[in-house]
Amino acid sequence: MNILIEKLKEVLFSILPITLIVVILHFTIVPLETPVFLRFLVGAFLIIIGLSIFLFGVDIGISPIGSLMGSTIVKSNKFRVIVGGGLTLGFFISIAEPDLHILADQVAFVTSGTISKMSLVVVVSVGIAVLLTAGFLRIVYNKALNRTFTILYLLIFILALFSSQEFLAIAFDASGATTGAMTVPFVLALALGISSMKKNGRQSEEDSFGLVGIISAGAILAVLIMGILSGQDKLTGSLDYSITQSASILAPFFHALPHITWEVFLALFPIFLLFLIFQKISFHQTRKAFFRICKGLVYTFVGLILFLTGVNAGFMDVGSLVGYRLASTGNNWLVVLVGFLLGFVTILAEPAVHVLTHQIEDVTSGYVKRKAVLFALSIGVGAAVALSIVRILIPEIKLWHYLLPGYIISLALSYRVPNLFVGMAFDSGGVASGPMTATFILAFAQGAAEYTEHANVLIDGFGVIAMVAMTPLIALQILGLIFQIKSRKEGVKAHE
Amino acid sequence: MNNPVHIDSNYEFFCLIVNFGTGSRVMKIARNNGISGATILLAKGTVNSRLLEILDITDIRKEVVLMISERKQAYDVLKTLNKELALQKPHHGIAFSASVAGLMGMRKINFDKHNERGAGNTMYSAIFVIVDRGKAEEVVDAAKAAGARGATIMNARGSGIHETQLLFNMEIEPEKEIVLILAQKDIVEPIAASIREKMKLDEPGNGILFLLDVNKTYGIR
Repeated sequence: MNILIEKLKEVLFSILPITLIVVILHFTIVPLETPVFLRFLVGAFLIIIGLSIFLFGVDIGISPIGSLMGSTIVKSNKFRVIVGGGLTLGFFISIAEPDLHILADQVAFVTSGTISKMSLVVVVSVGIAVLLTAGFLRIVYNKALNRTFTILYLLIFILALFSSQEFLAIAFDASGATTGAMTVPFVLALALGISSMKKNGRQSEEDSFGLVGIISAGAILAVLIMGILSGQDKLTGSLDYSITQSASILAPFFHALPHITWEVFLALFPIFLLFLIFQKISFHQTRKAFFRICKGLVYTFVGLILFLTGVNAGFMDVGSLVGYRLASTGNNWLVVLVGFLLGFVTILAEPAVHVLTHQIEDVTSGYVKRKAVLFALSIGVGAAVALSIVRILIPEIKLWHYLLPGYIISLALSYRVPNLFVGMAFDSGGVASGPMTATFILAFAQGAAEYTEHANVLIDGFGVIAMVAMTPLIALQILGLIFQIKSRKEGVKAHE
Repeated sequence: MNNPVHIDSNYEFFCLIVNFGTGSRVMKIARNNGISGATILLAKGTVNSRLLEILDITDIRKEVVLMISERKQAYDVLKTLNKELALQKPHHGIAFSASVAGLMGMRKINFDKHNERGAGNTMYSAIFVIVDRGKAEEVVDAAKAAGARGATIMNARGSGIHETQLLFNMEIEPEKEIVLILAQKDIVEPIAASIREKMKLDEPGNGILFLLDVNKTYGIR
């Protein structure tokens, strides 16, 4: 039973901080209605159970499939198999991502239908597919990661010059949306499967990371290109924004359940289907291994449903209520401070963060400790949320005032720090913007924007995710810099 | 290093398998007791539980800690570790040790050619080489050039006397690679010499190499 308790402990450690902060806020500055507060607690419970099951599922289901596919594709040693495989995998995992569909709905709404939902979903999926293939090729042809990112972000910058503020925000959010709870573990495993075959140990380790970062850029590029081509630059309309008024505690959970079940099914199905096809063609796993992976997929399915139900029905309302009421106290610094705290703890509860930090530990044999990465991520995301709140409160600050210097610093750092940390940092950007941030933090920011007169809920809401995806790049690379300076071999010369 | 090391002293290789997260503690205890360095590998263990087997949740993360030291010191450290980690209790880990047949890269210890060992009739030796991450390839090349048939590379982390740095409160243990080569007695020496020369093991901080006598091998031709 040791393993179960261990896993539960790890998950508790990541969910309790955010729960505690909300409980403290409830008893001090922002009292919440009783049903909302109780729903939050039920949500936290569901999240703990769901996340534990989900992580087991990723360990024995999603990750093995991903790394098997990655190594099988590359072992073929044929250019067309790599390109074909990359395009197929990228397209199917992205088109099924529930977060992308939600974003596409919103975009279709605010552009009054000029950009239809289906066209956005397809365009982003194509962008992901192309960049996933590019990422594969980068690993097999040994192209440097920092140069790849420089080229990608230069392209984004050029396109951004021709795009409107609003579209820029949507594009960066799209990158957050496509790297959801299901995609990230899968893509991480793909990269691991490919790079683990490299002869050179150092390189194999470095190339285990960076693929998530590359595909995030794909989504940004795709949306920007689409925005320019469609000639749409002004957004109209505003989003429906309502808080569940139900006095019942459990009803919202049951209400959310069928819808979430369907979404998770959609996200998981292509991976399962691809697994069956690969199994038939080239895996030839033993019966036992095959059933183990299937069990893993079932765990993933159940775990993710519980997790998302808890987040959507229990956490979202609390997020926006806390944001709204804090803003209404009129104490701006308090909102910024609480924003920082919430960002700091929310990231710990992000499913993909667990997967990434474990992979980092495994790949570096424990050299880069989980806790160090978590700490850097927490500071990064906390800063992102705080800065976003400042932007909402002060209308003169535009999103690009943050993003441009942020990405310039990230890219400059990528030439200074060890390659391993470059990949980790750019991956963590995609990882940080998962379902927890997309609901809880976004709701918090939108709640604050709702109260602030000059702020537009929609426009200021978009862009928070972009910030959350950007700051970890800097935070983790600085961690890498510290590691580099601190772990130089000292004393060797003294012995000579 | 407080203890002076003698060329003709007997060395002991010892290995602990403990739960994930305990490896760094083992290393710390060992170093406080005079061991000059240790290397840690990540591994997977199995569990014995009907329920978990049905659920197929059977992988438990372990850490394997490898250390070498002079025999008497090794036994002392093992005793201390046994006490501190309470190894006699279930699920607290296991430890074992073996004699080292040859050693390089540690404080000018030379491979003693005239070493007559008890189990003299063994045919094979296991060569372990511990180097910085990324250098294992060179080791394998050197070994192959001297007649080795193959090698296995394992990822690990660890630190010797030259390298311990604190990052805030966390000790950093640099990344290593362990190369395991099984070879016939008669070619072990050229292989070891070739690796020693190529990796410059005699200079401090370039890695260590040690040999274990293998009593039985299967699957090697």
